[in-house]
Amino acid sequence: MVAFLRRLAGHLVRGVVMIWIVTTFTFVLIRLMPGDPVQTQYEKLLSQGVSPDQARAQVQVTYGFVPHGSWLSQYGDYLWKLLHLDLGTSVSAQGVSVTTEVMGALKWTVGLVLAGTLLSFVIGVLLGVVAAMRREGHVGSVLSLLGSLLHGIPQYVMALVLVTFLTVKVKAFSTGPVDGLLDPGFNGPYLASIVSHAVLPAVAFALSSFGGYLLTMKSSVVSVLGDDFILASELRGIKPSIVFRYVARNALLPLFTVLALSLGFMIGGAVFIEHAFNYSGMGAMLIDSIGNRDYSEMSGAFLLITVAVILANIAADLLYSVVDPRVRREGAGA
Amino acid sequence: MSAIDMPVAGPAVVPARRTGFWRNLWTVLRRKPSRMAGAAIVALFVLSGVVGPWLYPDNLPRDNDLILAGPSLAHPLGTDFEGTDVLALLITGSRYVLVAAVVAALIMVVIGTGFGLYSGYRRGFSDSVLMRITDFVLTIPGFPLLLVLSTVWKFSSALQMGLVLGITGWGGLARSVRSATLSLRERGFVEAARGLGMPTRRIVTAELLPNIAPYVAMNLLIGVTTFIYSQVGLFYLGVLPFKSNNWGVMIQLAVTNGVTQTGDGLGYLMAPLVAILLLTLGVVLLVDALDEVFNPRLREE
Amino acid sequence: MTAATETSDVDGQRVGPAVRISDLTVAYRTAAGELPAVSGVDLDLAPGSITGLVGESGSGKSTLALALLNAVQRPGRITGGAIQIDGLGDVVSLSGKQLRQARGGEIGYVFQAAQNSLNPLKTVGKQLLDLGRSHQVTDRRALVRAATELLSAMGLSAERVLDAYQHELSGGMRQRVGIMLALVLNAHLLVLDEPTTALDMISQANILSIIRRVHAERGLTTLVVTHDIGVVAEVADRVAVMYGGRLVEQGPTTEVLRDPKHPYTKGLINAIPRLTGDPEAAQPLPGRPPTLGTIPTRGCVFRERCARYAADPLPECDTDDPAPREVAPGRLVACHPVTAQVEEQQ
Repeated sequence: MVAFLRRLAGHLVRGVVMIWIVTTFTFVLIRLMPGDPVQTQYEKLLSQGVSPDQARAQVQVTYGFVPHGSWLSQYGDYLWKLLHLDLGTSVSAQGVSVTTEVMGALKWTVGLVLAGTLLSFVIGVLLGVVAAMRREGHVGSVLSLLGSLLHGIPQYVMALVLVTFLTVKVKAFSTGPVDGLLDPGFNGPYLASIVSHAVLPAVAFALSSFGGYLLTMKSSVVSVLGDDFILASELRGIKPSIVFRYVARNALLPLFTVLALSLGFMIGGAVFIEHAFNYSGMGAMLIDSIGNRDYSEMSGAFLLITVAVILANIAADLLYSVVDPRVRREGAGA
Repeated sequence: MSAIDMPVAGPAVVPARRTGFWRNLWTVLRRKPSRMAGAAIVALFVLSGVVGPWLYPDNLPRDNDLILAGPSLAHPLGTDFEGTDVLALLITGSRYVLVAAVVAALIMVVIGTGFGLYSGYRRGFSDSVLMRITDFVLTIPGFPLLLVLSTVWKFSSALQMGLVLGITGWGGLARSVRSATLSLRERGFVEAARGLGMPTRRIVTAELLPNIAPYVAMNLLIGVTTFIYSQVGLFYLGVLPFKSNNWGVMIQLAVTNGVTQTGDGLGYLMAPLVAILLLTLGVVLLVDALDEVFNPRLREE
Repeated sequence: MTAATETSDVDGQRVGPAVRISDLTVAYRTAAGELPAVSGVDLDLAPGSITGLVGESGSGKSTLALALLNAVQRPGRITGGAIQIDGLGDVVSLSGKQLRQARGGEIGYVFQAAQNSLNPLKTVGKQLLDLGRSHQVTDRRALVRAATELLSAMGLSAERVLDAYQHELSGGMRQRVGIMLALVLNAHLLVLDEPTTALDMISQANILSIIRRVHAERGLTTLVVTHDIGVVAEVADRVAVMYGGRLVEQGPTTEVLRDPKHPYTKGLINAIPRLTGDPEAAQPLPGRPPTLGTIPTRGCVFRERCARYAADPLPECDTDDPAPREVAPGRLVACHPVTAQVEEQQ
C-alpha cells in the first residue's frame, strides 16, 4: 500500500509540474498571437453595424481581458485565474465563460470517445485473438493487414468516407449538433436525437481505431502462446478452458495500459471526426475557436486536451501497477 | 576418408549483415510478392512527387463546362470545382507533401538521434534532463499543438511546414534510439571499445550508429507518413492559407464545395483519400519487409 | 476404466511403472523436409529405477522426454515407434482427455528452473487448485494437504509458497514447486528436464538429494534428462547416452562411468576435469555436436568426431547406422568396432 501511495505521489508531482509547464507554454503562445484580440473584436462589431462608441463600450464590458501591464503581472493573473478554474471569457460568444463552454463541449467528446473506444476495444481484441489463433493461414494474414492498414490511415479518411457515403447515399442518420429546439433532459425525443447524432461519429471513431487494438492483442496473444508456462500447464494436464483463460488474461494485460493511454489522447484526437460530422465536442471547439480567432477559448480547449493526456498517462501507469502483480509487489522479492 | 553423406539443409536464418543490407532487402522482398508491391507503391509515390510536376504545366488548364465531373476518358479521376483534372492535381500536389515530409524527417532524425544517442550513452544527469524534455514533447498532443501553432505562425510553405513538423515530432525517435543505445551498452560493445582506447567519436560512428540504424530507418518510414497525414489534415481543416495545390487542399476545397453533401465530384474528394490509403498500404508492406531484414525469424515451417 | 500407471511390486515395495520405449522416431518439419531428432531409440526404464539420459544440446534428449508424454511440439511429431507404460498402454496412441489425464495424473514433468513454468499472474496455490480442477479432484483440502506435505519434505514452507507469485520465488524454490506440482496427484513416473541447470552449486546438490529422497519415499520410476554427467553419477542407477538422436550407450551408471565402451561416452568422460592430477589431462571432444540439418543420414552419426574412426575406420562405419548390442549383462553399445570385438570373443 505504501509503495502504491509513493508511486501516486511521485506521479502527481510530475503531473503537476507538467501541467504548469504546459500552462506557461500556452500563456507564451497566446501572447505571441498576431493582432490585438480586442481590436479584432472591435472591428467585428463595427462590421456588424454597431456604432463605434457602442462597440467600444461593449468590448470593454464584456471582453474582460485587456492586455495591459507587464508580462509578469499578466502571467500572475493568468495562473491565478487558472487555479480558480477560470479560463477567461469567450470572444466569439460574448461574455460566456470559457469554462462553461469547455465543460459543455467536453461532455459530448467524452461520450463520443468512451463509446467509440469501448466499441473499438472489443472489436479489436476479439479480432486480434482470431488473428493470433489463425496466424498461419489466410484469415490471420488478412486480419493483420487490415489492422495495420486501418491503424495507419489518418482519422479523417474514415471520417470523410463515412460522412460522404452514409449521408449522401444512405440518408439514415443526421449530422450536426443536437437539435436545439428539443427540451434537454431524459426524454425520448432528446435521447433519440443524441443517439442518432452520436452513432455515426462513434462508429467512425471505432472503425478508425480498432486496428491498433487488433495488432497489439494479436502480438500479445502470440507472445503469451509461446511462453513456457503455457506448455508447462499443458504438460500438467490443465483443462483447455483454464489454459485459454491463462492466455486471455495474460495477453490482455498490456492492452489495458494502451487503453488508458488512448483514452487520454482521444480527447484531443477526435478532432477530425467531430469536424467532419459537425459534432460539437472539444475538437470542433478547438477548430472553431481558431477560425474565430477566439484565443481564450482556444487556449482553454488546448489546455484541457493536454491535461487530459497527462492525467491519462498517470492513470495508465497506476492501473498497470495495480493489475500486474509483478509490479505491485516490488521489493517483496525472494 | 570417404565423403560423408549429408542432407542439404540450407541455413534457416538469413543473417542481416551490415554490409549486405541492400542484398538482404532484395531477397526479403522477393520472398513475398506482397512486399514487392509495397515497395513498388512507395517508389511510385516518390517518383510522382519528384518527376510528376514536370509533366504538367504550371497553371493547370480549367474547363468551365466540366465542373465536378465524374470519371471519363479525358479525366480518369474526374475534375474539380474549376474543371481542372483531378489526376493532374493529385500528382502535382504530391510534391509539396513529399518535400515537407522529407524536411521534417531530416530534422526529426537529427534531433531525435542526437538526443537519444547522447542520452543513452552518457546516462546520469544529462539523460534525465534530456528525457524530461523528450517527455514534454511527447506528452503535448501533436495535432492540437499544430493547430494552435498555426495561429501564431502561418507555416504554409513546404519548408516551413517541414520545419514545424520536424521540431514537434522527434520525441518518439529519441526514445527509441535511447533504449536501443542502452541495450547496446548492456551488450558490452561500448565497454569493450572504451577498453580498447577508442575515441568517443569512433565509438559512436563505428559501433553505435550502424546498430541503431534499423530503429532509425523504421521510425523514419513511419514518421514520414505521419508527417504527410498531419500536413494533409492541417490543410483539410483550413487553418493554413495555401498558395499551391496539395492533397490537403484538395480535400478542403472538395468539402467546402459540397462534395460530402451532394456527392458530385466524388473523384475530387476520393482521389487524395485513396492516395493516402495506397501509400499506407505500401508503407505497411515495406515495413514488414524491413522488419524481417532487421529481425530475421527462424523459419519454422 | 481410467488409465492409471500400475505400481509394481519389487521386494515388497511399491515402485513406479515399467517403461518400454521401442524404435521411437521423432521428426521435425523443416525447409529441407522432415528431419529426425530422435531416431529408432529403444530404451527400457525398469520399475523403481532412476535413469539418467545424457547428451549435449541437440542430441534429442529433451525431445525424447517430451515424447514420453506424447507432447512433442509443432513442427515436430512422433513418426514411428511405441512407448509402453504399465497401466497406460502405448502413450503414442493416447489422445484427448485420456492423454490429458495421464499428464500430471500419472506422469509428472518438471521443467528447468530457468524456465518460467508458472503463470506469472497467479499464485502457486491458485494454480494448484486449477490443477485439481483439471483432474477432477473433489477434495480440495486433501490436495492442499498433499501439496503441503510434499513442500515441507523438500524444505519449503507451504504457507509462504502457496501464496506467492512466481517472481517472488528463487530458482531453487521454483524448481521444488515444479516437483511438487508434478507429484501432488500421485504420479508414479517422474521426468525431470535439466533439473540442475541454472542453479548454483549448493542448490544443485540440494535438488539432487531431494530427487533421490522423493523417488525412494514415493516409489517412483524416474528419468533425469541432463547434459551434466556429474548429475547422473550423483543420482542415477542407470545411464543412457544420446548422440545425434540415437542411443549410443546404456548401462548401470557405475560400470559405464568406470569403463565406457562407446567412443562418445569415453570422450565425454575424458573431457571432465578432475580435482586432482594433471589439468591438461581433460580433453574436450573435437568438433561440435550436430544440428538437425547436419546429422549424417547414412552410417554412424558420430564418426566425424570419433577418435577410433580417425585411427582405424571400419567400412560399416560409413554405410550402416550401428545397432545397439548387448556387450555385457545390462549394457548396450551401438558401435561397430565394439560389436566386432564382442563377436570375436564369442
